Amino acid sequence: MAVDWRNFEPLLIPKIPNLHKIEVFEKHDGYKQLAKVLKEYTPEKVVDEVKAANIRGRGGAGFNAGLKWSFMPKPDGKPRYIAANGDESEPGTFKDRQIFEYNPHLFIEGATIAGFAMHIDAVYVYIRGEYKAWIDMMQKAIDDAYAKGYLGKNIMGSGYDMDMYVHSGAGAYICGEESSLMESLEGKRGYPRVKPPFPAQKGLWGRPTTINNIETLANVPLVIKNGADWYKAIGAESHPGPVLYGISGHVNKPGVYEYPTGMSINDLIYEVCGGMRGGKKVKAVIPGGSSTPPLRGDALEGVCMDADSLRTAGSMMGTAGMIIMDEDTDMVDVLWRISHFYHHESCGQCTPCRDGTGFLEKTLIKIRDGHGEMRDLDLLLDLCTQMEGRTICALADAAAWPVRYTVTRFREDFEKRVKNTVYALA
Amino acid sequence: MPEIFIDNVRYEFEGKPLVLQFMLDQGLDHPFFCYHPSLSIPANCRQCYVEAGTPVMNRETNEWELDEKGERVIRFFPKLMTSCSLEASDGMVIKTQRTSELVERAQKDTLEFILVNHPLDCPICDQAGECPLQIQTYKYGPEGSRFEHKKVHKPKRIKLGPKVILDAERCINCTRCVRFTEEISKTEQLTIISRGDKNYPAVAPGTEFDDPYSLNTVDICPVGALTSSDFRFKARVWEMNQTPGVDVTNGKGCNIDVWTRDNLVMRITPRFNPAVNDHWMPDFGRDDITRLNENRISKPQVKLDGDSIKSSWSNAEMSMAEKLQEVKPEEILVIGSAFSSVEDNFVLNKHFSALGAKEAVFSPFIKEGSGDGFLIEDDQYPNTNGCRLLGLKELSPSELEASIKESGVKLVISLEDDLVGRGAVSAAAFEGKFFVYMGSNHNETSAAADLVIPISNSVEQSCSFVNTGGRIQRTVAAKETMYTNRKLNLEMSMGRLDRYGTKFDNWVSDRNRIDCMPAWEFLERLATLSDQQFGYQTTRDIIAEIASVNEKFSGVNYDRIDDELGVPLISNEQEAKSV
Repeated sequence: MAVDWRNFEPLLIPKIPNLHKIEVFEKHDGYKQLAKVLKEYTPEKVVDEVKAANIRGRGGAGFNAGLKWSFMPKPDGKPRYIAANGDESEPGTFKDRQIFEYNPHLFIEGATIAGFAMHIDAVYVYIRGEYKAWIDMMQKAIDDAYAKGYLGKNIMGSGYDMDMYVHSGAGAYICGEESSLMESLEGKRGYPRVKPPFPAQKGLWGRPTTINNIETLANVPLVIKNGADWYKAIGAESHPGPVLYGISGHVNKPGVYEYPTGMSINDLIYEVCGGMRGGKKVKAVIPGGSSTPPLRGDALEGVCMDADSLRTAGSMMGTAGMIIMDEDTDMVDVLWRISHFYHHESCGQCTPCRDGTGFLEKTLIKIRDGHGEMRDLDLLLDLCTQMEGRTICALADAAAWPVRYTVTRFREDFEKRVKNTVYALA
Repeated sequence: MPEIFIDNVRYEFEGKPLVLQFMLDQGLDHPFFCYHPSLSIPANCRQCYVEAGTPVMNRETNEWELDEKGERVIRFFPKLMTSCSLEASDGMVIKTQRTSELVERAQKDTLEFILVNHPLDCPICDQAGECPLQIQTYKYGPEGSRFEHKKVHKPKRIKLGPKVILDAERCINCTRCVRFTEEISKTEQLTIISRGDKNYPAVAPGTEFDDPYSLNTVDICPVGALTSSDFRFKARVWEMNQTPGVDVTNGKGCNIDVWTRDNLVMRITPRFNPAVNDHWMPDFGRDDITRLNENRISKPQVKLDGDSIKSSWSNAEMSMAEKLQEVKPEEILVIGSAFSSVEDNFVLNKHFSALGAKEAVFSPFIKEGSGDGFLIEDDQYPNTNGCRLLGLKELSPSELEASIKESGVKLVISLEDDLVGRGAVSAAAFEGKFFVYMGSNHNETSAAADLVIPISNSVEQSCSFVNTGGRIQRTVAAKETMYTNRKLNLEMSMGRLDRYGTKFDNWVSDRNRIDCMPAWEFLERLATLSDQQFGYQTTRDIIAEIASVNEKFSGVNYDRIDDELGVPLISNEQEAKSV
């Protein structure tokens, strides 16, 4: 599938100087979409439009945002919330940061339109604590929006009230998971909640809540401005829209690039990022943050960055935080480092994740240090089976998938490191 | 009625039960750790997996869809479900470890993970023998472990509070203790700290776990992580006898289990009674073991020239009988006790009424404002309502002191009640009177007495109490006295050692038997001397008589109390206070 990316002009982070300043943003059609929605749209129409545009969640799961909004129950006069997820704790992901820094008002506008569509009383922007500078930028943008009447009481004279708050996380990966994000917002320990009840029924403080990624909400004004059909025509058919690719690793020009979905991975590496460092071969690509299964460098032909193509190739879109590794990379070391992260970040609520992540890491350390045996590879795969789908949230899956797919797809790296032990049967 | 199929067996259910609780109610065994019927459901141990499916409903006809064989089409959930958090629905199909290899495997897997960082120090762990983790590992666990690495080390022997000690390595992070302090005792003193496999429960820095209900966390801990600082390393579970009883330290009358070894009470734990105390009890009720074991009056005592000396039973009976001959019936003051059982109070009153004495009086022990609205009541004694229902005359402490001091009173007989110690009556009030105290422990009142009759306490005889809610509940003899015998008294529980140990077995001991008898039995023997005869063999006979002569007790007997976990005698709580 050919995507015309060469003529693509960035939409989420357009190349306009000082766009983070509200005056500049207003000059470039900023907050016009909000005004249009407040004046001409009913909430139902906004939801339908967004649903038709098929904005798929940019936080990893790729769920249709409009459909998610439509799960919210009818308003009953009591508070309802949006939690905007800017925790961005998945290793390899650093895209929301660009929005906070270069185009915060686009997000604020999108969140306010979403709030209008779902009769929301307050939006909580949850940003990881490590992003202190970006938290301050976001706070400044919100203060400016309040001053201009785009937030707060009677927004732009429409009679619609909505507040927006920035909330800083305290440095836990798990708080990027939607239900533990809510626990964290409520001031509790970041333990994921058991579902059902789902957040749309019982979310923050027991009230209906929708959790959307920052980038997802930033896409909303684009849909309102140009219509669902225009939006659907961008990028891959089943997974449309512009997306921020956060590319890191052994490429010449790593960084965040905005392009349509459905871009070929090879184009991203060789054209966008200027090729591999030192002209080396690609050994592995992690397409969407550390928890997505890695792809082999020799199997990248034709693989594109959209949900369907990546599923066929055996991975996932995730957050589009790509990690590119060259032929000198030791996959045992890479996997150990990823497992170390999940072991450190497991919240400790469910048994399979709490003790399984440690078990995985310790077995990988054994292999890394050259004490591993061939049976340890089977043990690793077995442990993955014991963890996948057995916990409240998806962290156990996130910890198990990289292990499962790195060991199966790069098995020769592991076999080189383990002792080829043979046991007598008798 | 809606139906559910568990392992191909059909059950009917009402309401919306949770599948795990429903299975347990049906007597089906199923492993779990974090679930507790009285606490919220975190579903974090991931042990109670089942495969669950629901029949497919045809939306047009509103009937179940059938396959070609005419059987319902079942759509199974894609993942294994935790039965603790799964609500039963009509037509649901559940496969447990008995019919599903997947579930059996998953339960093994979870146990393997739990044991990865569990120290497996069962031989020195207090919980061994009653440990859900140990039991379920034997039943459902893997044969061995594939974990060949160093376990995570965490702090051990942390004193969380005055009564609770934590071994963090044993903790499996089920959060039952945390949820208890959040939802039941509402002190919120415990929380989980740290993350992943390093986490364990802790108190906030600078505070201690001094919750008045703290020891309940030890009971509900599914491993040996939380241990009681009193009971720690005292006895193994299988050495003890477990006997049902009633907490007599408070008017609430919490249901308890009395754990005895060698005729010593080793510990007291709460016994489930949804109408009184659910699964819980206050900590001070457990401290009662000191009173039950120590400082006991063994053998009657008489005062000779101001010194208390031990005497024989026949001597005690004779001097009591002589004294009764000396005084006129109207010169006797009989003081019943809200601390003693219904039976003892009844026989006391009956005995002396038969001699012509005035009806027995009693003075309740109520500390206003000491209750907490949960399991601690203002009423400090277990049987205040029992005395009221028996028709004993209720006196305030000052009225009681005045009637003792009355010049017409020459003989004062008091059933176990530390009148002096609790400040109701001064010791001087008994001067010039002949004071007979029937009690089980040495105290300031027994020191003031001229004749002390050692009587059995609530764990040495079967007897009943009426709590502040007007519910009659009973105890069962848990420890032997000189005159009772576990092998002859069929009501007493038999431990493993009682059953199989011999007299020459080093583990079995006849020590610690107190030379005392129930108050009613002493009065019965006394009655024989004065040619009366009540004909009581056991307290069952007494309660039967009470039920026949006192309409407030009509229909009460021990079998009913046992079956119904106590019988409410006063329906309305307001009424209970005013009786």
